[in-house]
Amino acid sequence: MPLRNTADTYGSLAKFLHWSIVLLILPQYFLAEAAHELPDGLEKLQIYTWHKSIGMLVLLLVLVRIGWKVMNRGTPRPLGAPWQRKAAAAGHGLLYLLILAQPISGWLMSSAANYPVTLFDWFQFPALIGENHDLHETLEDVHEVLFFTLLAVAVVHVVAALYHHFMLKDSVLRRMLPFSRPSA
Amino acid sequence: MSAARRTCISALAALLLAPIVMPAQAATAWTVDRAQSQLTFYPTLAGGEFAARFEQFAATIHFDPADLPHSNLLVVVDLLSARTGDADRDTALQGQDFFMSSRWPQARFSSTALKALGGNRYEATGRLTLRDATRDVRLALRFDPPAAAGAAASLAGSTTVKRLDFGVGQGDWRDTKWLADDVRIAFSLALHASK
Repeated sequence: MPLRNTADTYGSLAKFLHWSIVLLILPQYFLAEAAHELPDGLEKLQIYTWHKSIGMLVLLLVLVRIGWKVMNRGTPRPLGAPWQRKAAAAGHGLLYLLILAQPISGWLMSSAANYPVTLFDWFQFPALIGENHDLHETLEDVHEVLFFTLLAVAVVHVVAALYHHFMLKDSVLRRMLPFSRPSA
Repeated sequence: MSAARRTCISALAALLLAPIVMPAQAATAWTVDRAQSQLTFYPTLAGGEFAARFEQFAATIHFDPADLPHSNLLVVVDLLSARTGDADRDTALQGQDFFMSSRWPQARFSSTALKALGGNRYEATGRLTLRDATRDVRLALRFDPPAAAGAAASLAGSTTVKRLDFGVGQGDWRDTKWLADDVRIAFSLALHASK
């Protein structure tokens, strides 16, 4: 499987970035909910640390993914009717934006409450803003709304991919699947 | 007893008693400008350091670079004034796992000796009492005399203490992987010579 994208399929790097980001985002909601329910204590800190570290990892990966997309112009040729292509492009743009905005809103939220943001205990990110209680409360809402927006757009993304695969029977889903080699 | 001899004895007695009866000599006393002074501590939570502060503390400073033997620092900190930027964390800090300020509301540092390290650098050794523990602590100090008449002098210092030496962090919080044992403490005082 080539590293770079070809006219027919995504390359291994694009696939790796796509699926690693999916796998990292999946537990995030449950970690946040679990931590939220816990009383203040070590366990809450541990779960939030996981949630925040995973979020920062997603941020780094999505930046690489966007960089790779920009550098790697040979994206697989679009399939479907013109309106579908436009909708897909808009949907993908929105996904990138949301996956970028979500960890940044979390980072801002921690900064506003003077909580350090780390990548596990390997690296500490600087605070983006100073202590601000009201802004922290607002960012908490923003972080939550962004999550449900991301969830909604991701559901449309998955439904569209399945529609292509099972109804249109084209290669749209297969060309992003790991280890698959779709026919041209 | 001759008059001369009596005078001689009283003079000797005066000399011997002088250190006891005369007020102890002290180096320049300074008044702390509270608005321009900070006392900050830096806990490390899950590998990330953050700054927190004590908003209320009283510092009694006698300091003269030319008279270090008579210089001394006494700092009394109101632990209830600790602010970390998050109300829940502030509350937790006052609880029995951390400061337990209901029982030990103050921390106290009292210097026992000061020495010059060259330039404007000094070192203070002293005793820090927090909760029910008292430990020896060494402060790295920097003293900058007033730049101009009427301006403030500056005394800045820092040290790193082991929180577990003082029992700060009980139960789960004895775990130093998630809350580091080392806590850096720094202060910066703006000083005006007392009249």
